[in-house]
Amino acid sequence: MSELLIRGARKAYGATLALRRGDLHLLPGEVHVLIGSNGSGKSTLCKIVAGSVKPDAGEVLLDGKPVTIAGPQAARELGIGIFYQELSLAARRTVAENICMPALPVKGGVFVDRAALEAKAARIIEAFADVAGEGFSADAPVNTLRADQRQLVEIMKALATEASILIFDEPTSALDRAQVDRFFEILRQLKAEGRAIVFISHRMDEIFAIGDRVTVIRDGETVGTSKISETDQASVIRQMVGERDDLATPAVAPPAHQAQRSAVLSVSGLSGPGFRNVSFEVAKGEILGFGGLHGQGQSAVMRSIFGADAHHTGTIALNGKQIAMKSPREAIAHGCAYVSGDRSRDGILQGRPIFENVTPIHFLRNQLALARPASLRERAMRPLQALKTKFQGLEQPINSLSGGNQQKVVIARWLIDRPDVLLLDDPTKGIDLAAKTDLFALIRKLAENGMGIVLYSSEDAELLNNADRILVFNSGSVTRELTGADRTRYNLYHAAYEAA
Amino acid sequence: MQQIISTPAMNTSPLKSVLQRFPFVPALIILIALVALNGFFQPRSLSFGSITGLFSTYLALMLLAVAQTYVVFSGDIDLSVGSIVSLVNVVIIVLMEKWGGGGLTVIAACLVGILTGLACGVANGIMIAGLRLQAIVATFATSIFFTGLALYVLPVAGTPAPEAYWMTYGGTYFGIPFVFYVVAAVAIVLGVLARMRLTTQMLAVGDDAMAAFQTGLPVTLIRIKGYVLCGLFSALAALCITGDTASGDPLVGGKMTLYSVAAVVLGGSALSGGAGTVTGSLIGALIIGLINSLVFFVGTPSEWQNLVQGLAILTALMAGILVSRGARA
Repeated sequence: MSELLIRGARKAYGATLALRRGDLHLLPGEVHVLIGSNGSGKSTLCKIVAGSVKPDAGEVLLDGKPVTIAGPQAARELGIGIFYQELSLAARRTVAENICMPALPVKGGVFVDRAALEAKAARIIEAFADVAGEGFSADAPVNTLRADQRQLVEIMKALATEASILIFDEPTSALDRAQVDRFFEILRQLKAEGRAIVFISHRMDEIFAIGDRVTVIRDGETVGTSKISETDQASVIRQMVGERDDLATPAVAPPAHQAQRSAVLSVSGLSGPGFRNVSFEVAKGEILGFGGLHGQGQSAVMRSIFGADAHHTGTIALNGKQIAMKSPREAIAHGCAYVSGDRSRDGILQGRPIFENVTPIHFLRNQLALARPASLRERAMRPLQALKTKFQGLEQPINSLSGGNQQKVVIARWLIDRPDVLLLDDPTKGIDLAAKTDLFALIRKLAENGMGIVLYSSEDAELLNNADRILVFNSGSVTRELTGADRTRYNLYHAAYEAA
Repeated sequence: MQQIISTPAMNTSPLKSVLQRFPFVPALIILIALVALNGFFQPRSLSFGSITGLFSTYLALMLLAVAQTYVVFSGDIDLSVGSIVSLVNVVIIVLMEKWGGGGLTVIAACLVGILTGLACGVANGIMIAGLRLQAIVATFATSIFFTGLALYVLPVAGTPAPEAYWMTYGGTYFGIPFVFYVVAAVAIVLGVLARMRLTTQMLAVGDDAMAAFQTGLPVTLIRIKGYVLCGLFSALAALCITGDTASGDPLVGGKMTLYSVAAVVLGGSALSGGAGTVTGSLIGALIIGLINSLVFFVGTPSEWQNLVQGLAILTALMAGILVSRGARA
């Protein structure tokens, strides 16, 4: 059985450094927990081990011998199996095919050995048979399964590799209690067989239930490894937080807490896919932060307020008037604005000039069919200049701008006609530091002018520095509200990592 | 991380599970309807002779639809299939003429033709999967290139195929027309291919290339193999069309490319990749063939034929969508 040592692993994507110095020492027969906040580099480290990401620097030693992991195939040959957080399933293939996909059983050199495939899959499915739930069968296409069942398939796929090193990157995020318990039973069995297991989870209770040792990663750097039996929840969180105190040097001065001003946006009892029973109010001039780990419902709530995604129950009111947000078009007409961090999907009009990227909302809100180019250009220039956007001319294609400037163009689009509510869904993703500072200064100014702003950021420092109040999301609901001096990184992590 | 709150389990209706397993069922229903319509307007169209004629004319399109299916499986597309048909057509015609047109030389020329098709497929595959060019644009460019080669090999249409060739294709052996032997052979080959590991892997790549890569599949190689299979079946389609037209024409396949794409879609395969069946594409090609003959049988004036044909294909596409949507509800 194998022992794995990674030293100084480093990976940059363009200008963003995903992993600065990743160290990990994995021993046979242990469950090794990897923990760190959003974007600290856990998944990147895992993907380096699994061969799907090539490190820029660093060394990997397997049983003391240096190895290069050229790709996922090479990793498999070295005895490394992985559960991918974002799953690696073929949605229209069956459960059995997916489980065996990494190494399809073959007969006659080229033909799929159906009997062997089904036997192998059946053996693995068997272990989860009573917890998998309705509709789970070997010949069900994966896209007919529920989210938890798909996650089980990915677990089974990792188990089917029978690798001596197994990596599980958040395998339990969608599973119910019984499924987690069964998975842990299997992990203990694998551990007894002497396999080395990496386990990532954001549920503290799980970490302390199954882990033997824990390695903490902070800002792309391994901070330290300790035995689970010799540490506790509070000291792990302290290690994740580090020595920083973000409120000490805020980018902009946090204003005195708004004295019960009129709510510009009030949401009550909102439930939908990915979130349940979310209620909050945003006052005029307030920046309300959404915090917590990735994908706990923050984006889903915003998108559903904006009418881009559906919600089942609950009410949304703008300026005290209840509105059924059925489409973004309607939301825009009522004075809602939404800026997404996923610019290429939700923001920019690819390949079109800046001019066309700034003006569409203006047309929609004023129901313009025709406009005089000269006056329209003037209107477009004003917000672009206010945002200090760097560009040569309005005719320049948007793709030629840097990420930060693209995002400024997208925001400028909303500012020609001032909205009442601005929903910022991780708006600084992939933007450089200087642009971020500009952006938050502007957001604060907009708030001071009476706009209600909702900000979700995957970077905790941004939230702590800029939000007047933070709602912490956990598993689709708001579990804690942080106000005033409570807005500390420690409290944020504590609420985010609590078992929901 | 995915959605935290699981979506409710979808209950699978029996019709839906049939459709999931056999996505070509709507196409089959349309095909049967078209056969009935053909029979209604021209009872003789259901005779053995007419059906033989239908197959000998549309076998090439059927094979070309099969060719297209294999690249569509892995989420790619090949807009050069028609020009591969043209190129292989003129290559074998010129070689057969040069070598005298005897039995053995015909077979030799056919082998060279198949190799030509394979080479075209390898070139497309390396360009798209290896060099990461956009499939639509790259194969559009290679289609112009292959057509250029075909025009170089045979600048003017009209060189006839040797008698031994088209007599065989149009002939009858042991009471069964030759084309049906071809159909049977193709069916066996397709059955074998469906059981190959490559087919499952191609569908996995088409479903989600990133997931397939992370699973450890050799994604580039799998996509190249798809293009090679496509080249092979395009060459076989060329052999059939040469048997049907009995002459060389450097532009013969040009119009067939988009018909092959239409046949794949009619057959219920997803152009985005990851789902589909070769059987469906065969049925799709037959649907196009039957629409063409129906337009003829109902006595459409020649100047209206294109318009009616286009409308009929659109109707078939819509009918297919309606049937599958009905099953999903």
